[in-house]
Amino acid sequence: MFEEASEVLENMLKWSLPLSLVLFLVLVCPLRAEAAHEFSVYRMQQYDLQGQTYGSRNAILNTEARTVEAEVLSRRCVMMRLADFSYEKYQKALQQSAGAVVIILPQNMSTMPQDIVQQFMELEPELLATETIVPVYFALEDEELLSIYTQTQISSSSQGSSSAAEGTSLLLHTATANGFQMVTSGAQSKAVSDWAITSLEGRLSGAGGEDLPTIVLVAHYDSFGVAPWLSYGADSNGSGVAILLELARLFSRLYSYKRTHAGYNLLFFLSGGGKFNYQGTKRWLEDNLDHTDSSLLQDNVAFVLCLDTLGNSDNLYLHVSKPPKEGSPQHVLLKELETVVTHQHPDLKFSMVHKKINLADDTLAWEHERFGIRRLPAFTLSHLESHRSPARHSIMDMRPHVDLTKLRRNTKVIAETLARVIYNLTEKQVQEDQLASLVDWLTAQPRAAQLLDKDSSIVNTLEYYLNHYLKDVKRHLVRADKRDPEFVFYDQLKQTMNAYRVKPAIFDLLLAFCIAAYLGVLYLAIQNFGLLYSFLRRVTAPRVKQH
Amino acid sequence: MTLFHFGNCFSLAYFPYFITYKCSGLSEYNAFWRCVQAGATYLFVQLCKMLFLATFFPTWEGGAGVYDFVGEFMKATVDLADLLGLHLVMSRNAGKGEYKIMVAAMGWATAELIMSRCIPLWVGARGIEFDWKYIQMSFDSNISLVHYIAMAAVVWMFTRYDLPKSFRLPVTILLGLCVYKGFLMELFVHVFLLGSWTALLVKAVLTGAISLCSLFLFVTLVHSN
Repeated sequence: MFEEASEVLENMLKWSLPLSLVLFLVLVCPLRAEAAHEFSVYRMQQYDLQGQTYGSRNAILNTEARTVEAEVLSRRCVMMRLADFSYEKYQKALQQSAGAVVIILPQNMSTMPQDIVQQFMELEPELLATETIVPVYFALEDEELLSIYTQTQISSSSQGSSSAAEGTSLLLHTATANGFQMVTSGAQSKAVSDWAITSLEGRLSGAGGEDLPTIVLVAHYDSFGVAPWLSYGADSNGSGVAILLELARLFSRLYSYKRTHAGYNLLFFLSGGGKFNYQGTKRWLEDNLDHTDSSLLQDNVAFVLCLDTLGNSDNLYLHVSKPPKEGSPQHVLLKELETVVTHQHPDLKFSMVHKKINLADDTLAWEHERFGIRRLPAFTLSHLESHRSPARHSIMDMRPHVDLTKLRRNTKVIAETLARVIYNLTEKQVQEDQLASLVDWLTAQPRAAQLLDKDSSIVNTLEYYLNHYLKDVKRHLVRADKRDPEFVFYDQLKQTMNAYRVKPAIFDLLLAFCIAAYLGVLYLAIQNFGLLYSFLRRVTAPRVKQH
Repeated sequence: MTLFHFGNCFSLAYFPYFITYKCSGLSEYNAFWRCVQAGATYLFVQLCKMLFLATFFPTWEGGAGVYDFVGEFMKATVDLADLLGLHLVMSRNAGKGEYKIMVAAMGWATAELIMSRCIPLWVGARGIEFDWKYIQMSFDSNISLVHYIAMAAVVWMFTRYDLPKSFRLPVTILLGLCVYKGFLMELFVHVFLLGSWTALLVKAVLTGAISLCSLFLFVTLVHSN
């Protein structure tokens, strides 16, 4: 009986070595043992504006990864790189009812050629305009993600090709190839209730009693892009905020000396929700003009100057909704602007752009139109000629988009012009490093309106800065109306996505088959162990006889 | 990466034990409870070893890349307790030599399988992520079975009163190899920087060699009377 055990052992030893070799050759061995890769992904915008829905409605995903070259895309997560991105491929993925789309952006955007960046900037509004059920995510590329993408691309493109000769190798490859399962960690997106958009106002009172004319300086501080967590908004409107803060500092210095304390009230306003049809400004105007008894805005307003996208290029446009009349303070501003530009900065091209307010449009063009609707004289100063320019709503608008020398030059122009309007003294120096640090800080984090609630550090820092130079700094909140909301924001904008390496189902069956074969051979080996035993007995027997 | 994969790994690990138990005729001897006792002895011996190691051996503070040869050597020496445990099990069972060896080895190896392999397989092989190391773990348990059978046989031979003088030396060498096999494997992996599959192959070869030699000595001893 125990002979059988020894036979088993004997056969086990005889067969285990070559069998393990065969198994070793049959099962393709991996080159690296990669664990799951975890990375942050940023979701496309999802919001409602004035009842109209925009963007991607879905947030969760748990699907296999494919690239665009694969034939079957339905219910799969389609991965695309920015360099290969095109609107047709995106549409193709949506039409085949893909499960999700992940667009991979390079870490350093400046390595991308300009035409690709420009093309993507123009595509962003189209991506948002189509309301889609499919979750669209953006991820920043690193080495592991790139290797995951190339592996997926290889397996996706090889699905199409097949010929009789490579049939078996293709089958083996398909059965044992690595797939990747993309899983997000968060929950389904839902509407954020009661989100408060904060705006900040502060003022410098003029010298010389009551009823002084007021000049209002406005800039919206939020940013917009196809993915809120990637909207850094360097030029639009980080440059505007930097200029407004610098002007606040300058004029606060000037107003603290009796000699330079002028006879104009200066009201500074940093509005939130600017990219969502200037919600902050709208509510602030309603509160100040309709609901309070006395406010600077109700009395003598000389003009309102809105600053929007002033960080680049050699053009400067003054956008008006009504050409200013001769002799009015607005006309004085226009003339001073032209003088300053032609005499001190001949490289700058200045012109006025007249565009009537069109109330039938979905959204207003520039911020001054909000003031114009309430019959306050207003302009917007910008280096963009059209409000539809893609640079105002792009995630590509990052720090390198702001040229600091041009920003400084524009700030100087505005400061000089305002100083000439307010009094005839020379200007104080605009400090470039101050501007630089402001722009650096503003562009270091995304400022999409959905991410800045009333406690966010950006709003607090802005308030602190204004408090440093201005008096009576107040916060002003906009909450969407409960019954007929002008805007609804959604959450789940930033998620963590896990890529799990998986094997196809056939691989399990193949492995089970191999294991069954191995076990069968093992069983036979153990049954016949006695053969080894008796063999060894025969080998040792002659030696015993010789004793 | 699924329950099926877990089933694959588990069957690869467990079935050889099952086959060995059935085919070696142990079931006819009602050896099940004896094997369980051997397993309990395994648990006890491991506990003692862990306490001893924790009390008397300081933690290695040399840095990440350097391998503490002397320290690991000392730790492997503590594995001599395994031999004592096997000897204890075998001395408590009455019967033929082969019966004692098989009972002790089966119980010992099954206890090791349950204690050290079941939980990693359950937790790891069922996850979404796929990794080859679970299949390797199951193969390793097969190799361990052979290793423990050989080790039990060598211990039994060592304690026989009628062992010929010429056999003393080979048996002692084999005993030493058995105990330090783990240490030798780590040494190989560290010095030659072997991949995981290659290391498994080397381990299988080493175990095969040890078991073949011990089988040879066993046959000679049993049938030389």
